[in-house]
Amino acid sequence: MEEIILTIALWFGLYTIVTLSLNLEYGFAGIPNFGRALAVLMGAVAVGGVVNRLLILLFGIEGDLITASAQVRSIMNEMISSNPAYGIGMLLLYLLVAACLGGITGALFILPSAKLSEDYLAITLLAISEVMFMVCNYDTGIIGGYYGVSTPDVLSFIPGERRMLAFTLITLFVAIAVYILMERITNSPFGRLLRAMRENESVVKATGKNIMILRIKATSIGSAIAALAGALYSLYSVNVIATSFSRVEWTFYPFLMVLLGGAGNNKGVVIGTFTFVLVKVLLTIYKHEIRVLMNLPFEAVWLEYILFGLLMYFVLLYRPEGLIKERPIFSKVILEKVKKRA
Amino acid sequence: MNVIEGAIVYSNLLVLLSIGLTITYITTGVPNFAQGSFAVLGSYVALTLLRFWAIHPYYSIPVAFVFGGFFGVLVYLLMLRPLIERGASVVILMISTLALDLILLGGFGAYSGFLAESTHKLATKFIFTQYDFDIWQFSGILFVSLAVIFVVFSGLFLLLYKTKFGVALRASMENPSLAEVMGVNVEYTRIFSWFLSGSLASVAGTLLPFRQEIVPLTGALIIVSIFASSIVGGLSSIIGAVIGGYIIGFSESYLTYQLSLVLGAYVLVYSKVISLIVLVIMLLAAPRGITGLKWGRAIWKKSSLQ
Repeated sequence: MEEIILTIALWFGLYTIVTLSLNLEYGFAGIPNFGRALAVLMGAVAVGGVVNRLLILLFGIEGDLITASAQVRSIMNEMISSNPAYGIGMLLLYLLVAACLGGITGALFILPSAKLSEDYLAITLLAISEVMFMVCNYDTGIIGGYYGVSTPDVLSFIPGERRMLAFTLITLFVAIAVYILMERITNSPFGRLLRAMRENESVVKATGKNIMILRIKATSIGSAIAALAGALYSLYSVNVIATSFSRVEWTFYPFLMVLLGGAGNNKGVVIGTFTFVLVKVLLTIYKHEIRVLMNLPFEAVWLEYILFGLLMYFVLLYRPEGLIKERPIFSKVILEKVKKRA
Repeated sequence: MNVIEGAIVYSNLLVLLSIGLTITYITTGVPNFAQGSFAVLGSYVALTLLRFWAIHPYYSIPVAFVFGGFFGVLVYLLMLRPLIERGASVVILMISTLALDLILLGGFGAYSGFLAESTHKLATKFIFTQYDFDIWQFSGILFVSLAVIFVVFSGLFLLLYKTKFGVALRASMENPSLAEVMGVNVEYTRIFSWFLSGSLASVAGTLLPFRQEIVPLTGALIIVSIFASSIVGGLSSIIGAVIGGYIIGFSESYLTYQLSLVLGAYVLVYSKVISLIVLVIMLLAAPRGITGLKWGRAIWKKSSLQ
């Protein structure tokens, strides 16, 4: 029972980070980012590809990435278990590198939007993300591809049975920090500008704002945050496998959570994420029972796909505004004006 | 199968898929992310006929054509039209086709479970190359795919240019509101375009296992190439889709192979990167695609300068 709750909490934390970042880009700025998975993958690349390589250089280990990473893990694990400060430092370093790499990727991959309309942009972003996924999956030189590379356990100073709890707490802490940050950003003049851009680009242009700069800012912030989730997930599983960063898991499901909760509303998105994660984790845990109970001749994961696909469709059809509707902007100035009129 | 043969077969199939993608985008404005899975549907129709009744996949082409066509119509009527009637934006329509793609993926996985249970053969992974035959030194799929392309092209030509329905269809693709004023029922042409999209994709799907292994996820893997073909062609004309299909098909298979001879075998992994690069260059240089370029004006300018 305890494990189920922890699994739900962990995935809720991870997915909240991703959905809040997607909400900034899609919900507020109106950028149809069908390539969310790319930023999450970049978080994993930062852990498995960038920092691991730096550590390999630092310790002067020879051999290919996969075997050298395994050696790095054993050296680092010993250091961390003797001194927890190393572990915390490494965790912060991983998150920092992931955020930087994610931010740069986000800023670069939105550039085609300068010339493209909404639908072409969505197709292009999906294509870029999908192709990068395939490359990282098949080319074992980047992050070990489908073999995967091992990463140090930043919490190796904590005994094994407590590790999951500690990691869940860290993830939830990051998620709360991201939530506070997002509330701040979206309630600032910048956040209102993003909403204005979503509603009418020409008006924003007419007030002298550069649309392209706004888009780049939104996606680089969003992608930097989404990369945190990728890094945390890789550190949790102490293994980076490109295969686990598929489009369904990290683009489609986040879109489902955002639309279910209510695009353009951080609170709604968090509720949507919780609802989704609850259903998904329970489905995953009881998949064997479901299979036996319903006498299915196939894996329950296929049922999960059908179910979530249908859920997405019915949300779009019957509740496109989500569980909680986006609230109108009430800044101090607007509130005063409204009161005066009333 | 040698490289050029493979490239021709692959391009032929991409053309079938990108024609379908383009025609539904023109008539209903839906960029269909499930087009790849429409093809896998055809593969499963062929597999079912083969496993249960031992029908050779080539003979199942007509069945797949009809089945895929009706499936396309159902998708439009039951899923997309209600959304369009509620004034859904193009992004919402795209998300709904992504949802459809996921439903189909789950459906294929579940169905292969049933199929495997009743035939005691693996159905989550299959290939038809062992059923193919050779004509001279060439594989049969080369001739079959060329024949299918020939039949489809001549059928489309006859339909679009020689029948009254074709005239109405072209009119409603060019200017739907004007066509409606002239008494054309634009809704019929929308339904027809989804029939065509589903059926052509399904036919491509019955032929695809002769070239590569099919898994339930195949649709998600080929969708980038299909979109690249349609966008290179401009997403606004059927001829563009044909040209785009051949450009992407050849650059993905033949060009990648040639590059791998120069740079080493690791390039083969990057075949989709090449179609992505072609796509991005095309979008930045000519967002309206090949057929959107004003060739006539360029020639006119050149001749007037002389």
